[in-house]
Amino acid sequence: MTAPVARLDLRAYACPLTWVKTRIALERLPVGGRLELWLREGEPVESVPRSAEEDGHRVLSVEAIPGEPPGAYRVLVEKGAAPAAALP
Amino acid sequence: MALTEDRVARWSRQLIVPGFGEAAQERLQAARVRVVGADGVSSAALVALVQAGVGRLWLDDPEAVGPADRAGWLFPPASVGSDRAAAARAALAPLSAYVSVDAYPTGGVPDATLVCAPSAAQAMAAAEAARRARIPHVVVEVDGDGGAVISVPPGAPCYACARSAAGGGRPPAAGVAALASLAAVELVQLVATPEVVGAGRRIELVRGMTSVRPTVRLAGCACAEAPAQG
Repeated sequence: MTAPVARLDLRAYACPLTWVKTRIALERLPVGGRLELWLREGEPVESVPRSAEEDGHRVLSVEAIPGEPPGAYRVLVEKGAAPAAALP
Repeated sequence: MALTEDRVARWSRQLIVPGFGEAAQERLQAARVRVVGADGVSSAALVALVQAGVGRLWLDDPEAVGPADRAGWLFPPASVGSDRAAAARAALAPLSAYVSVDAYPTGGVPDATLVCAPSAAQAMAAAEAARRARIPHVVVEVDGDGGAVISVPPGAPCYACARSAAGGGRPPAAGVAALASLAAVELVQLVATPEVVGAGRRIELVRGMTSVRPTVRLAGCACAEAPAQG
């Protein structure tokens, strides 16, 4: 299995910065690169994977992080090849 | 150079706009934009450009604040009669710590130009200077019902090919602000996301309704020829 090339702990952040930081980190990765996100339960772990899929990336897994306090989730995302959307 | 934490937070809303991103924000941050005309027409555009994070704004306007400028967003009644570029700078500076606003330095070479000139002749001259320098530019035309925004990426049909022969008058303040804001968005796209900007275009804004059409080069126009280098 390909190891994640980057990890981002976003548990201290709220929307929209959770997705902003994820998007910037994905922008810096090559296509196919993997990003491991640590997110809080609730809105962050619900909306960030959804936004990633809408942006053309693959969400490989969403799971609780063993050894961390309850409510912490690990989300593994693989960067997709979706072109930047054309502006109107 | 990656955006710093505070800048990511400052522009978080636009960093998630599809087609935008860190690289686009960095291009915007590195840009020097000349704005020709800093009166009430361009006020909303100037605010939008500062808020969007253009690195350096050069205000090219030698006139004084007039009573009509008070309808814009920048000029309090007490500023009437004062230097317009200085008054605009004073109003814009507190809006962002990341943007520098100055009077246009003679001979300064911008990366893009926004033309909100008070006369058709001045608009033509400023647009032609930008075209010759192969600088992306956007021209605002106001008329009584609204106006138009003409977007000219390098190599596109020039403003002279796309300008309106009609016009005259000035729309209500809300119409002017909408037109200027639209121009600012066009300029941001030209500077920050040139890879997704296509050909030149003309956006008409008439009584709140927009229509867009690509600009077409007039037969025999000099803009078909590449400007001489040097």
